Amino acid sequence: MAHAAPRSARPYRRHIIGLPLQRSLFALAAPAATTIGLPGLSSVSDFPARLDENGDLFLDRSQVTALIEALSAWLTPGNLELMHARLANACAALVEASENPVPLAVARDGEPMKSSEDFADRMALLLAYGILSKFVPDVLLRALADAGDLQPPPFPEISAGAQLMQDTFELYQKCGARNYTAERLRREWPCVPSEIFDLVREFCLRQTGFGPLAWDSPGYEDPGYVVRLLHSAFHEVDPEEVGRRLGFARKTTVIQPTSETSPKVAALRRALGLWLDFLERETWYVRRAFYLKMVPLLQTLAARFREKLPALQAADLLFLEIGELTAGIADPEAIQARRDRYLRNTEYLSLHGVERNRLTTMMGNS
Amino acid sequence: MSAENSSKVYSGLGAAPGRATGKAYLIRNAEDVMSVPAGSILVMRILHPHLAPLLPRVAGLVVEEGAILQHATTLARECGIPAAVGIRDARNLFRDGELLEVDGYTGKVTAKQSD
Repeated sequence: MAHAAPRSARPYRRHIIGLPLQRSLFALAAPAATTIGLPGLSSVSDFPARLDENGDLFLDRSQVTALIEALSAWLTPGNLELMHARLANACAALVEASENPVPLAVARDGEPMKSSEDFADRMALLLAYGILSKFVPDVLLRALADAGDLQPPPFPEISAGAQLMQDTFELYQKCGARNYTAERLRREWPCVPSEIFDLVREFCLRQTGFGPLAWDSPGYEDPGYVVRLLHSAFHEVDPEEVGRRLGFARKTTVIQPTSETSPKVAALRRALGLWLDFLERETWYVRRAFYLKMVPLLQTLAARFREKLPALQAADLLFLEIGELTAGIADPEAIQARRDRYLRNTEYLSLHGVERNRLTTMMGNS
Repeated sequence: MSAENSSKVYSGLGAAPGRATGKAYLIRNAEDVMSVPAGSILVMRILHPHLAPLLPRVAGLVVEEGAILQHATTLARECGIPAAVGIRDARNLFRDGELLEVDGYTGKVTAKQSD
C-alpha cells in the first residue's frame, strides 16, 4: 500500500485488518481526510495513520499532535457548524448508499467497477473520521472546559450499544416465549421451527453492521454468531437484572443549551454530541455498508471476472486491493499468494475468530 | 501500582461510577466473548458497542484503552456498571479468576491476593 505517513516502530494496534480489500480502503483515507475539508487544516499534515501488510495500525504521533494543536485554534462557532455538517453528511451519504440495493441495470450492463469505486470512497471517508474520532472528541471536551463549561459530556440519549442490548434482549424474550431458551436455541440451531429461524434471521438483517471492525470476524450479520451471543449474554441471567440495566440506559439525561449558553459552547456541545454518537457507530456504518452493498457488488464483479477467469470465486475478490478491483485487474497467482499469507497468520485468525470456511460463508450469507 | 494488605492496586480513570467485586474474566479473542461467566469483571482492551448485550451479566469493567470519551464509558455509564479505563496492559496484569475490586469513581482496580 502506498502511503505517505512516516513509519513508527511500534504499532498503535496489532492485527486489526487482515483482508487486503479492507486494508486498501485505509489507503484511501488519506485523500478522504482532505475531503473532510476543515478549512486551513487540510494542509497542516498528511493523514497520520497507515496499515501495514500484517494489518497493524500505525499512528504518527507528531502528526496527531500537530493536528490537535491546529484544531484547537480553529474551533469557532462557524467552523464547528461546518465540522458538524460534514460529519453528518458523510454518515448520511454512506447510509443512503448502503441501504439502496445494486440496481439491476448496473448489475447487467452498467459500471459495477465505477460503482465500487464511488462506494469505496464513501466508506474510506468514514474510516478517516474513525481515526479522527480517536482524538477530536477529546479536543472538543477540553475546549468546552476552557470555555468554562463543566457540565457532563453530551453523551447520546441512548447509545447504539444500549439500543442493541435492548433489541437483543427482546429477541431473547421472543424466542423464550416460544419455548426456545438461549440454551435450547444454541443446541438446536439451525434445526429450529421456521418461526424461530425467521425471528433470528430478521434480527440479523436489522442489526447487520454491529460487529468487529474486521469484516471477516463474525458479527450480527451471521445468525450462528447471534445465537451463540444470545446464550453467552442471557443464559442463567436474572431477567430483572437485565431490566435494571436497560432502565439505567433509559434514564440518561441530556443537557439542552439555554439562552445563557454562549454560541461557542453551544456549537462545541452540538459538535461533540455528534462525535460521541459517531464513536458508537463508526464500525457499524462501514461494516453495514460492506455487507449490504459491497458484498452484492463483489458478487456482480465476480461474475464479470469469471468471463476471463472461470474458476474465480467472489471470496477471491477480498484479496484484491480496491484499485485492482475497480481497474478489473485480477491475477490468480497474486490472489493465491495473498490468501496463503492470510491463512498463515494464525494469530490474526484466532484473534478474530475466523474459521476456515468463513470467507465463503460471509460472501454467501448476505 | 501499590501494595496494600497483600493486595495490588492499579490506577486508571474512573469511567462509570460505582464499586464492584468479582472474578476477572479476560477477553483476548473473539471466542472469549461467547462464554462470559455471570458476575465477572470483564478485562479487555476496549469495549465495542456490539458487545453491549453482555453487560447485564457482568459486575464491572476494566479496560486498557485510556480515554474518558470512548465506547466503554458511554455503555458502562448507561448500564450503571462500574468501570475503570486506562489500566494499561490489564490483560497481562490480571489472571482469569483472580478477585478484582473496581472503583468506578476513582479508576482504581484492586487485585485481591488469595493467600
